[in-house]
Amino acid sequence: MTIRKLMALLAILAMLAAACGSDGDSDTATDDAPAESDEGDAMEDDAMAEESHSLDIDAVLAADLSNCAEAPTGDPIKVGMVMDFSEAAGFVDVPGSEVVPYVASLANCAGGINGRPVEVEVRESGADPALATQDLIDWGAQFFIGPPFADATLPMQQTGGGEYAIFAAASTEPTLADAANNTFLVTFDDNGQSSAAAEFALAQGFTRAIVFTEGEGVPYSGVNPDAFKAAFTAGGGEIVSEQTYAWFVDTDFSAQVNEIAGVADGTEVFFSAAAAFQVTALRAQMEGQGLETVNYMGTDALDATGIIADPGGEGMVHTPHTLLVEGTALYDVLDASGTLASDAPSFMPLYIDSMFLGIQGILDCGCDDPAGIADAVKEISSFPGVSGDITYAGTNGIPPKAVPIVVVENGANVLLDTIG
Amino acid sequence: MTELLQNLIDGLGRGSIYALLALGVAVVFGIMHLLNFAHGELITIPGYLTYWAFNQGWNWWTVVPLIIVSAVLSSLLIERVAFSRVRGASDFTLLLTSFGVHFIVAAGFLLYVSASVKPYPRPGWFADTIAVGSLNIEVFDLAVIVVTIIVLAGTTWLLQRTMFGLALRAAASDFDTARLMGVKSDSVIRGAFALSGFLAGIAGVFWIMREGQVTPTAGINPMLQGVLAALIGGLGSLRGAVLGGLVLGLAEVLLRSWLPVGIQNLTTGFVFVMIALLFIFRPGGLLSVPQVERV
Repeated sequence: MTIRKLMALLAILAMLAAACGSDGDSDTATDDAPAESDEGDAMEDDAMAEESHSLDIDAVLAADLSNCAEAPTGDPIKVGMVMDFSEAAGFVDVPGSEVVPYVASLANCAGGINGRPVEVEVRESGADPALATQDLIDWGAQFFIGPPFADATLPMQQTGGGEYAIFAAASTEPTLADAANNTFLVTFDDNGQSSAAAEFALAQGFTRAIVFTEGEGVPYSGVNPDAFKAAFTAGGGEIVSEQTYAWFVDTDFSAQVNEIAGVADGTEVFFSAAAAFQVTALRAQMEGQGLETVNYMGTDALDATGIIADPGGEGMVHTPHTLLVEGTALYDVLDASGTLASDAPSFMPLYIDSMFLGIQGILDCGCDDPAGIADAVKEISSFPGVSGDITYAGTNGIPPKAVPIVVVENGANVLLDTIG
Repeated sequence: MTELLQNLIDGLGRGSIYALLALGVAVVFGIMHLLNFAHGELITIPGYLTYWAFNQGWNWWTVVPLIIVSAVLSSLLIERVAFSRVRGASDFTLLLTSFGVHFIVAAGFLLYVSASVKPYPRPGWFADTIAVGSLNIEVFDLAVIVVTIIVLAGTTWLLQRTMFGLALRAAASDFDTARLMGVKSDSVIRGAFALSGFLAGIAGVFWIMREGQVTPTAGINPMLQGVLAALIGGLGSLRGAVLGGLVLGLAEVLLRSWLPVGIQNLTTGFVFVMIALLFIFRPGGLLSVPQVERV
């Protein structure tokens, strides 16, 4: 009995000592006079943090493939890409699936990530994104870069049991982001870009707007105009005409223009999420009806569908994801990878950032299990990506990124403002 | 009233393109009982050639003949490569073959050209208007209507006044009997595909001008409108195809204008409801023709 009591007392003392030690470890930053051993722990933590955050993007982009460092020999970091090569998303996912492996080869050339090589495996989502995802899970993917539409990312989520971080690289679909299920956008969402467009329009003195929509709440083609209308009217603007159309289909807007001609006076700003070839057709028809001074604004769809290459796009204002500047390391990387000449080069930094964000998650958690990586990604804050600063901490997976507002001048995008 | 007249002209312009497309569909259907879902490729292929030509420095004066010639050649090529192999097969086999051609062509452009939009400049006069009283009539609509009238007159002359037209009409009426009477099946079928390609080429000129861009599936919409118009008019009836095209174009523009603001985006749905009602009361279309069952 006495021995038992003595052992119990020793056990309690040992637990108390352990608890006190634990306090010291976790609270070194707030101790007024940390013990010598605590200082040592803190230095060790700093060293680990230094190592865990040692993703040097500049060094990766600057790597010279003809003069590489010693090949990394650690356990590989495995990046899975489920890409949609169809007409719907192929214009971004095809070059996206080329630029990410290229940047991975640069990372490996630079000595890898903390001595670990980066491996990228691409699968086409085809008609069965779940199968492509499972294939990559079997391969050992630690996180995913996915296509921009929910019909592919949702099966990916389900196949991975919601444990894998999925970066919908080129998507602006707000309902697609879901931090609870580890699905993340890499750029601003539709609400962000269209609200920014409205804010810019109001700042230019526009008080009247014409809006084209495919219907309230319709993903992208309706959500963007919804957000524009809400922000524009909240700022004191008036929607003088709201017209419907078929996104990516209509190019004859005679009926709409006939109605607009009855209410517009030419001082309006026009806003839609339409493709470049649609807005330029509409503009020509509007000008044919005498409405020659309307100002045209649009979303990233204009950038994605070649507004700068369209002769009718001159003077149109839109919201691309990045502005590529000649002479920068990013520009050179896109050029060398062959994706600068692709259909949507300004989307490529989003794919590169998707890979870097996943790797940052691995470094932050110091782990290789997909759930741990995804948990770490959720806490990423002020990540200095090639497409801008990215923060997921405290969000539902939509990074609060600034929206560039550009105008097409002489076949090139010229930055007017950055909002947000 | 002004808006109504404006919409009527716009609807006739749109309907004229549909009429040309439907006529091409009807010509082939009349001969082969083939509802050609590959008809849209006669827009897609010239569309990509247009994109290519503008990148080579061509202009619309040279691109227009390119569109028409390439549509005719594409039509003949598709017949030679695909449909000639299944000639005499069931209607269902022919239908599936036409779907196959569509998917192969679309996949070819997707894989070997690009998945994305390929833009080219529209003609400068594309949206010019002529003021007639309070109306601003688009030159484009006028051009479409005038060209369609000329082409329809020429087609009528071809079908009514030439040996080829006689053979075509005989084959459309009863293919087997026509063959027994000495009509060469190869010639008449190739002639039908060439005429169908020519009509698609003329429609394609205007369609491609208005679009200002091409994608691998650019042919789907013109194909659907052409097939729908042919169905509305009565499959196999050439006059019905023209009527169906005009009705479809007018219905689209007028419904878009008349529907209340909140449901304007249901225009296409209402058009399809009207077509469904038409088929309930007139299953053979507006100008139905008696169907001869091949045995």
